[in-house]
Amino acid sequence: MIAKTAEKLYRDCSVVQGRVGIAAQDDVMLSEGAPDLSRLAADVLSRLSCLGVVAASPSLPFASYLLRRSNADAKAIVPLDTETRTFLHDIPIVRREELSRDPAGAIAAHLSKRKGVIAEGVGIVASGPVTLEQAYIHYSSVFHAAFVKYLLDALQAGFVLPGEAEAFRSFRDTFLQPLTAEGLPFRPGPLDAPEEVLAEIRAVGRYTVLRGLVDSFFGNISYRVGDTIFISQTAASLDELAGCIDPVPTDNRSTTGITASSELLAHRRIYEATGARAILHGHPKFAVAMSMLCDVKDCPVKDCWKDCTRVRMLGDTPIVAGEIGAGGLAVRVPPVIGGPGKAIVYGHGVFAIGRDGFEEAFRSMVDVENRCREEYFRRLDARTERQSKSE
Amino acid sequence: MSGMSLRQYMLVVDLSSGRMRREEIPPELLRAYLGGRGLGVRLLRGRHTLSPFDPAMPVVFAVGPLCGTPAPTSARLSVVSRSPLTGTVYDCSAGGRFAWRLRAAGLFAILIEGKSPRPVALAVSSAGEELLPADALWGKGVGETVRALSDRGSVATIGPAGENGVLFSNILMGEGNAVGRGGLGAVLGRKNLKAVTVDGDLRIPVADRERFDRARADVLRLFRASPVIFGELGISEYGTPALVDLMRQRRMAPTENFRRTVFEDSSAYSGPAIRAAYGAKKEGCYGCPIRCKKRASDERPLPEYETVSHFGALNAISDLHSIVRSNDACNDLGMDTISAAATLSAWGEARGRFPAAEEIGPLLHDIAHRRGEGDLLAEGSRRVAEALGKPELSMSVKSLELPAYDPRGAYGMALAYATSNRGGCHLRAYPISHEILRKPVASDRFSFSGKARMIKIAEDTNAAVDSLVACKFAFFGASLEEYAELLSGVTGEPRTPQGLKEIGERIWLTERFYNARNGFTRADDDLPTRFFTEAGSSGEGIDVPPIDRARFGEELTKYYRIRGLRDDGSFPDDGFLERQP
Repeated sequence: MIAKTAEKLYRDCSVVQGRVGIAAQDDVMLSEGAPDLSRLAADVLSRLSCLGVVAASPSLPFASYLLRRSNADAKAIVPLDTETRTFLHDIPIVRREELSRDPAGAIAAHLSKRKGVIAEGVGIVASGPVTLEQAYIHYSSVFHAAFVKYLLDALQAGFVLPGEAEAFRSFRDTFLQPLTAEGLPFRPGPLDAPEEVLAEIRAVGRYTVLRGLVDSFFGNISYRVGDTIFISQTAASLDELAGCIDPVPTDNRSTTGITASSELLAHRRIYEATGARAILHGHPKFAVAMSMLCDVKDCPVKDCWKDCTRVRMLGDTPIVAGEIGAGGLAVRVPPVIGGPGKAIVYGHGVFAIGRDGFEEAFRSMVDVENRCREEYFRRLDARTERQSKSE
Repeated sequence: MSGMSLRQYMLVVDLSSGRMRREEIPPELLRAYLGGRGLGVRLLRGRHTLSPFDPAMPVVFAVGPLCGTPAPTSARLSVVSRSPLTGTVYDCSAGGRFAWRLRAAGLFAILIEGKSPRPVALAVSSAGEELLPADALWGKGVGETVRALSDRGSVATIGPAGENGVLFSNILMGEGNAVGRGGLGAVLGRKNLKAVTVDGDLRIPVADRERFDRARADVLRLFRASPVIFGELGISEYGTPALVDLMRQRRMAPTENFRRTVFEDSSAYSGPAIRAAYGAKKEGCYGCPIRCKKRASDERPLPEYETVSHFGALNAISDLHSIVRSNDACNDLGMDTISAAATLSAWGEARGRFPAAEEIGPLLHDIAHRRGEGDLLAEGSRRVAEALGKPELSMSVKSLELPAYDPRGAYGMALAYATSNRGGCHLRAYPISHEILRKPVASDRFSFSGKARMIKIAEDTNAAVDSLVACKFAFFGASLEEYAELLSGVTGEPRTPQGLKEIGERIWLTERFYNARNGFTRADDDLPTRFFTEAGSSGEGIDVPPIDRARFGEELTKYYRIRGLRDDGSFPDDGFLERQP
């Protein structure tokens, strides 16, 4: 399990190679990975009532930059993406001086309250109260939230730390790979045989992780055959969907789908509104970040993420507000997604549909994220240019 | 001002003398045990080896520090004593309106001891308390008793089952909620206490409103993100019978006294079937946003998952109306549905024929009044099976009948049944949450790997939850992280999830220590043999083999080590209680 967790972190490209430490305990404590980090993970775990701890250096320095850019008296950073707002609430930051005497104790004190922390000079440390996989999920959540917040902060405030601009350039030029659907085989739709549907959902789930459209844990996927929606289960890893797809009758004659994704209602309404057969939902980071930028001044709406009633456009993609699960997302996405075949939810991610199969949905999601990347860098470059001129 | 530092009072009632006094609860006990289950368990200290029916054995009603505030799902209380069915320390939490009104009467807890010379009802309000003659109510059903006392506020009462010492008799709240399972109704019955009523109008302060409101918003957001809670197929929509279809699909629905794990006709009493047949309406405990309770269009409370499954599959009955009538009867007689149905099922297998649907109603009345065969059945499945010379047919742990999750289908549940301090209960560690419902994350239900520590942590967590006192269902979405914040907001004293788990561990170990003093050992932390020797109902690509006894034992030993106990489950020294606050 420890090896599998490390492998998933590497596959997600969210950690520096060789800079992962993982500890897990049953009746004995086990730890593996980089010696300093695995020792730290074990020390932290020994002070918590938890199953596992992950301590790792993130593959991007964004979390560290957020910490260093924050006010000296700040105790936490507060990204406003949906992941953080719903599950993390905020992300504690542990500064170097706090770590100087008893780093494990200092980190454990913060982890006794929150799922993951950013520790200066260490990286991200996250705990898993129920399973070790949960520690991985919490690590990924912090990494994702920090990534999105940093994109927004950099756009709004520019680069302020030594080496930051260079690091960002490296991220842009080498870390970010061209995003494409090419080379991925899709089954042409419509699909009717349940086995074929399940196989295609499993395959496309893997593609989304492979292309970085979602971190393994996030997102959901479904396909409709007649009066049945086949949908990924809640808390399922999209790259490991075998046995984790629920068949849900559209007339609710059975409640077996109580374990289905929290977005079941949104999927159902999208099917009803569009007649589509396939839905793909992921959290590509540039789309999440761009959805949180709004040009309206003096707007009376405060909780934009759930209360904004406007439909904004990013190119040909509509952006709507909406809370996940039983919130308003299921109300606001269906009316706008039919025409363009795609929509972004404020701070949350992209929904894309396929009229017959998943290829259309997948290509739409890739297209949205590419356009968001382009738009992000266009704005960043413009900002950088303005900054240079003013200097 | 710190809410926790506010003076909290307990009403001590001596039924033998009729004397009552309000006394302050030491604040250090509230800090160390929170309230509810924890406080009740602590208050039993020193009398924990008394017989459950000894007049000196206390029964404690205790709310938690969140009760009376807008903290979601927290208008609950725990009732704590020693169970006549299991002999273990026993607690059960219940919602409704009673807990909130108790606190609004200026009380955090009621401790009842002694035995009244004649039937009485205890009436509590913010103006004071009195013992009312209840001779006229003795022998009455729960419904009639509640109606008779309704002008006194919320009512908690026993029915004929409690009066007649049925070992699985309940205390019923007027709104239909039950203090269920372990027979605490019989403990009240022996004390000649028919009912407790509470009414009050005091407001509960919140020390840090901003912090509290933020935490509350976080909790509600997590509820909305949870398919089990607010999903369109979740418990808010269909109540706990939403689990019927799922357990059938997972092939872990106890059928015919656990001989099989699939009941082909279970869709007859599924959530959608109940909604269609009875027009189920949402009902909730005070201030609860989930509203998992369901009522029929004629206002009858509709049955929970365990009830429909055990009066259904466990007795091979598919008649929904019969199941609903069984639920009605148990509620009015003041009897636990799980143990009643499981006792009938064990009895049915022992005699070679499960009771037919039309036989159930008369049998339930016979049990409650201890008439004919009902006199034996009133003793619960273990004693019935032993009396019939087939002890192996009691599907119980520590004499408490197992609920409707077959342990062959979820190994954490198997371990949790065995280690539960109150016996075969699903709600102590509640691993169904992750093994089946995937919350907060999924775990492999057919593996013991890691389960020992998972169960230990969950038992500690839930001991804290039961002491707050919050509803377990809230934790299909939220976690102690948010509830610690709610508590911090209410009291003004910072609390962390880790700190709450440590309190839970103290409570759990105290319970275990009490049980050990009453003779419970590792031999009692075991499942019925059937689960190790007979397979469940495999099929549809799911294999349900017998549980590997050696592996089970190995994990149990790990569990003891993690708990700091000896490999035989005993405490390494006798001084545990003395080291606790």
